[in-house]
Amino acid sequence: MSPNARIVLLALAGLALLPGAAAVIAGLPAFGSTIAQYGERINAVAPEARHVANMVSAINFDLRGLDTLGEEFMLLAAITGTVVLLRGRRGEGNTERAMRRPGRAVIPRSEAVVLACRIAGPLTALFGLYVVLHATVTPGGGFQGGVILASGTLLIYLGEGYAGWRDAIRSHWLDALEGGGALLFALCGLAPMLTGAAFMQNILPLGTFRDLFSGGLMLVENLGVALAVTGGFTQLFLEFMEETREAREPEEPGEESA
Amino acid sequence: MTAILPLLFLFAAISGTAVVLVRDPARQVFAIAVNGLVLAILFDALQAPDVALSELAVGTAAVPLLFLVALMAVKTQPPEEDS
Repeated sequence: MSPNARIVLLALAGLALLPGAAAVIAGLPAFGSTIAQYGERINAVAPEARHVANMVSAINFDLRGLDTLGEEFMLLAAITGTVVLLRGRRGEGNTERAMRRPGRAVIPRSEAVVLACRIAGPLTALFGLYVVLHATVTPGGGFQGGVILASGTLLIYLGEGYAGWRDAIRSHWLDALEGGGALLFALCGLAPMLTGAAFMQNILPLGTFRDLFSGGLMLVENLGVALAVTGGFTQLFLEFMEETREAREPEEPGEESA
Repeated sequence: MTAILPLLFLFAAISGTAVVLVRDPARQVFAIAVNGLVLAILFDALQAPDVALSELAVGTAAVPLLFLVALMAVKTQPPEEDS
């Protein structure tokens, strides 16, 4: 198709879609006018029914928990696909130690970067854990906390180099985290059915409103999401890095390869 | 409060445009991070702290870090050949 024909096609498609888009935009509620009715209902009902202060977690893990289960497996499928694509001919066998990029100079890190990463890394991990654990009390939860935890592991890479990072991170553990998190979430849906309750019905004690232990089953589901997201994001990063390298035993085990 | 929102929209537009206009990939990573930060503040101002936290973690930390590391990995020539 020639560029001109493409532009004509784009213009035609734009003309066809314009009335519909204009109608939808005109029908939107005014900016910042009202909270939707569904939101009002949740705000009124969730604190009493679920003992949870963070409504977003109440929706994600309980009221619309099935949607989150779907998202969870979407993430699992996306990461599995990426890993399969990146591993390619390398196969399943992952080396225990860091692989090297041939012909690549090792650029020494400045001490300031190492120091900053050694200070920021543990603090980031701690904040990630905080966000995960306080899912039902403050904004945040398994997904956000999991991404923060995965970012914490990236700071190890920035500070210690790739070899140091690989010494701390085990690929099979990441697989187990990713799959195990998703499995835990699915079990949270299935386990209540053993007692005769509905799928993902909140059968655990709900705990105290505004307490760390509130929300019952939500806490377990939240933990599953956190595990899966931490494992998944770190795995993605690991496969990304290994893809550009070739397996070769380093001359000495502690040698740095950035 | 009324002045904050238009200001944030303006910042979001400026930083979003900057991501496109900056051509050097290494600088573009930081432009994306700044854009993510502005969006996170905007979401927070619109009383969506959960989304703001997601945006902060993914858009400002994880994605730029991944890009930065990927750029580092792709650069193959030793530094003395650059100059």
